[in-house]
Amino acid sequence: MIRFEQVAKRYPNGHVGLHELSFRVRRGEFLFVTGHSGAGKSTLLRLLLAMERPTSGKLLLAGQDLGQISNAQIPFLRRQIGVVFQNHQLLFDRTVFNNVALPLQILGLSKVEIAKRVDSALERVALSDKSALFPGDLSTGQQQRVGIARAIVHRPALLLADEPTGNLDPRLAAEIMGVFEDINRLGTSVLIASHDLALIARMRHRMLTLQRGRLIGDGEAGQ
Amino acid sequence: MSATRSPKVSERVAPKAADPAPEKQKKRRDDEDDGPDFSTLFHAWVESHRASLVDSLRRLAKQPIGSFFTCLVMAVALSLPMGLSLLLNNVERLGGSWQRAAQISVYLKLDASAHDGEALRTQIKGLPGVAEAEYVSREQALEEFQQQSGLGEALRELPDNPLPGVVVVTPAEVDKPALDALRQQLAELPKVELAQLDLVWVERLAAILKLGDRFVFGLTVLLVSALLLVIGNTIRLHIENRRTEIEVIKLVGGTDSYVRRPFLYMGALYGLGAGVLSWGVLAFGLNWLNDAVIGLSGLYGSDFSLAGVPGADGLSLLLGAVLLGYIGAWIAVARHLSELAPR
Repeated sequence: MIRFEQVAKRYPNGHVGLHELSFRVRRGEFLFVTGHSGAGKSTLLRLLLAMERPTSGKLLLAGQDLGQISNAQIPFLRRQIGVVFQNHQLLFDRTVFNNVALPLQILGLSKVEIAKRVDSALERVALSDKSALFPGDLSTGQQQRVGIARAIVHRPALLLADEPTGNLDPRLAAEIMGVFEDINRLGTSVLIASHDLALIARMRHRMLTLQRGRLIGDGEAGQ
Repeated sequence: MSATRSPKVSERVAPKAADPAPEKQKKRRDDEDDGPDFSTLFHAWVESHRASLVDSLRRLAKQPIGSFFTCLVMAVALSLPMGLSLLLNNVERLGGSWQRAAQISVYLKLDASAHDGEALRTQIKGLPGVAEAEYVSREQALEEFQQQSGLGEALRELPDNPLPGVVVVTPAEVDKPALDALRQQLAELPKVELAQLDLVWVERLAAILKLGDRFVFGLTVLLVSALLLVIGNTIRLHIENRRTEIEVIKLVGGTDSYVRRPFLYMGALYGLGAGVLSWGVLAFGLNWLNDAVIGLSGLYGSDFSLAGVPGADGLSLLLGAVLLGYIGAWIAVARHLSELAPR
């Protein structure tokens, strides 16, 4: 699904985001990427979303070389990915339904199909009864779940999450992680960047540990 | 982990175990990879445009005063050159046709009789390049002069009529070299004292109209540039206000054309609003001026009145305004789209 081969990212100001990083992620795998602030977690996610390109090395996502991908292909690559942000990135002038429907509207699905899929996604995150509300009417945890519903509604092959539980209390954080596991059970690869080691340790999935842009650990969490 | 997870979510999610297993899920994805057929894609494309149009209308309606004033500024920019152009057209009409303006006056010798004059008129009428010829006898000329000059009493004191008979020749075409040749030909006819081609005022009017046309063209270029700047700046502000939305759209797979579309509709709608306003302003303005023009032309014994905005011109104005709005929006979005990369 994902293959990093000696991938490095250096910025024009001299800062090195990633040092020759190599690892693979299988289809359907659940993976944490952890490390302190500045370790390179966000850089890794930005490379996977083609928001940035590697300076050197080879980064393959579902067979596509993200170092060589053209700008015109990037939107179509992103349609295979679902992404969840720490700050939700919801549109507060649209209802929950319309926030979740956005990827499907971009895909050009029919209204009937959109309604069906949005209802299903909202049901999966236990927000079926909130579809007519606006994000501002929801709690932080519910907003995060709307973000997750939007990330999975188009049935992506890969789900990326950047500190998805960063603003949540432990109970809500566990609840959100449970949702990610449910999604993973349906065949979606999940990659979560988080520094919440206690939460990660409880979940016993593969964990990559980054430090100053280098991979210093690759094993099951809690071991 | 399940001990810490909210029962609510777990309970809601648990029935999803009945959802297709990963293998089934994978099969479903493979099926979907065949891609939608043309009809589905076409309907999706139409739906996307409809949604963009409705969204743009909704956003404009949400700020009615701001939208109206933007349209008004654009309408003024459109109305100035269009209005001047319409006025110039009316001035051309007022000046009469070129054919009428370019008459040649053929003055007869004083000893030419009325019979000679009529014979000459018939001869001239038969010449190539002559559309019309009219004989004005010495007596008619004197009578007209007395009426028009206000020197009736003084002229009556003269022992003889000093005015010659005249044949007024209207040429078939207005072409300066051809007219000069015709004038020369007429001057050489027997009983003709002088053939005079008075094109000076026609040439002056033509020069004034040409200057007017150039002025209108220059003004049009300037105001169209201003209009593009107005629409570009307005769209830029809309883009700034929707930056987060655009970033999210790009992150979930929206193409540049998908991002661009609502702004293009917005530009076209601003243009349409401006075009309608401009048409209204021009129609009202010309109608308002017309009363004064009719009064003035009546004093000169003319029934001249201003023509309104012709339907074809009005439609061109509308189409042009929509196109300008669209182009202005396109330039603005193209300029700012690269800055809208997700952060």
